[in-house]
Amino acid sequence: MWKVISGIFLGWSLGANDSANIFGTGITTGIVKYRTAILLTAIFVLIGSIIEGPKCMRIVGDLSRLVPIEAFLCALAAAIVMTILTYFAIPASTSQAIIGAVIGAGILSGSADFSKLIKIVACWILTPIGGMIFGYLLYHSLKFIFDKTIPSLTYRNTVYGVGIIVAGCYGAYSLGANNVANVTGIYVGSGLLSCQMAAFIGGLSIASGTLTYGKKVMITVGKGIAPLDPFTALVTILAEALTLHLFTQIGVPVSSSQAIVGAVVGVGIVGGLRTINPKMLVKITVGWLITPFAAGLMTILFIYLTPFAEGLKTILFIYFTPA
Amino acid sequence: MFLEKVFSKGKKENEVIGDITKQIKLLCTACGFFKTALETDNPSLMRQVMDIEREGDTIRRDIISRIYEGAFLPYLRPDLCKFVEIVDSIFDLLEDTGYRYLDLKLPEQLRGECIQVAFLNRRICEMLLITFESMLKGEDLREKILAIRIYEKKIDDIKFDLIRDARKIEITNFWEGEILSQFLSCLTSISDVIEDASDHLQVIHVSMK
Repeated sequence: MWKVISGIFLGWSLGANDSANIFGTGITTGIVKYRTAILLTAIFVLIGSIIEGPKCMRIVGDLSRLVPIEAFLCALAAAIVMTILTYFAIPASTSQAIIGAVIGAGILSGSADFSKLIKIVACWILTPIGGMIFGYLLYHSLKFIFDKTIPSLTYRNTVYGVGIIVAGCYGAYSLGANNVANVTGIYVGSGLLSCQMAAFIGGLSIASGTLTYGKKVMITVGKGIAPLDPFTALVTILAEALTLHLFTQIGVPVSSSQAIVGAVVGVGIVGGLRTINPKMLVKITVGWLITPFAAGLMTILFIYLTPFAEGLKTILFIYFTPA
Repeated sequence: MFLEKVFSKGKKENEVIGDITKQIKLLCTACGFFKTALETDNPSLMRQVMDIEREGDTIRRDIISRIYEGAFLPYLRPDLCKFVEIVDSIFDLLEDTGYRYLDLKLPEQLRGECIQVAFLNRRICEMLLITFESMLKGEDLREKILAIRIYEKKIDDIKFDLIRDARKIEITNFWEGEILSQFLSCLTSISDVIEDASDHLQVIHVSMK
């Protein structure tokens, strides 16, 4: 059971990093307080993981046939790659890290299923596009509806405030439902955990990351985000949540960061591309390309090193055991 | 806090809006008093403008504290506060103009044009109130703001005539001339500040769209 620890660590890091994608804009616009935001995110991530989390578990498990120790090493490699890339401020996706790691392990054991990988990579490409389309469509449709039905300043103020909180809760739910498979999906494939148990443990680990470290990341991310107006913030969160939920129904875990970047670009297109920073887009693309390869290579390295570690453990055991 | 926001149906916001409406209505009253005081050369009526300014100050303080107690989205708060401050600065300008008036003997050849400016100031204030109410309903503000600009332009035209006529007046004492000049300058700048306030309403209107 100790082999789940690396997955819990990965879940913790996902919760700490990705919770900023949910309420980051709500916080920068001053609508939600940090404490409320992390609490709501943690609760809804857990609910989403338990209710819809198992939907994406199968694809991660089916990608390669892993034994429990390989599953442990995959999650560990993904977590380390995420930590390193985050340290160098390169936007990275946990989904890509774990899929890269699983494929790395699969290549080594000869069990990698590349037909499923094509579906996953297609979904990675479609995630920002989906976010962009949802962002663009929601901007136009909600603007039309609000202009027709809520002309009053006071009501609009209430609708924006409440809307951002509701959309944030939905976003957290979708994050839990979609991303929990990244954290514990490999343990389902290796037969270590059942789907429900994996969803519960994964949800708890993401929620713990949000609760313990989410505030710090939210503050950092929040300060980095250009202040959006409440309507744009609402559209962005809603587009991200819908994108994640859509891919949950397809059964592929995707990146919430890619979804929100896509949504911001979609809104930016409406506003004449003013919100898009080309330098930032290049940085994100580089991160997206590096992550799966780095995680895959690190997993291969870990699996090669395992026999040496086992040998070292035996030598230490013999050396320290009293005669 | 979230449920409180949903079920209060914007109680705090409505209180702030009520107060801002009261502040603008008070400004209209002050401008009306100013005009009548100028027409009837009534110093006690002019002193009432100063009393109204103090009342306006109290309303401003209430509005700003209510806004920072949680009314409206934080995104909107600075703009609303700025609007309230601009309206308050109109009160201050009106008070300064009143003080200058009490300090001088207004030459009769300038009184007619000054009354005309005071009348237009009153009209422009009423237009500001209409614009504010339209903004609350989410209506288009362009025509109202255009009307304010036209009034302001009219006042600008009168200002040049006033300066030309004022030059013809013989000044025997430096302070007499200085206070008259300050009075005319204050009286004709009120409309500029009202125009700024209306422009700010447009900013609030656009930012919530």
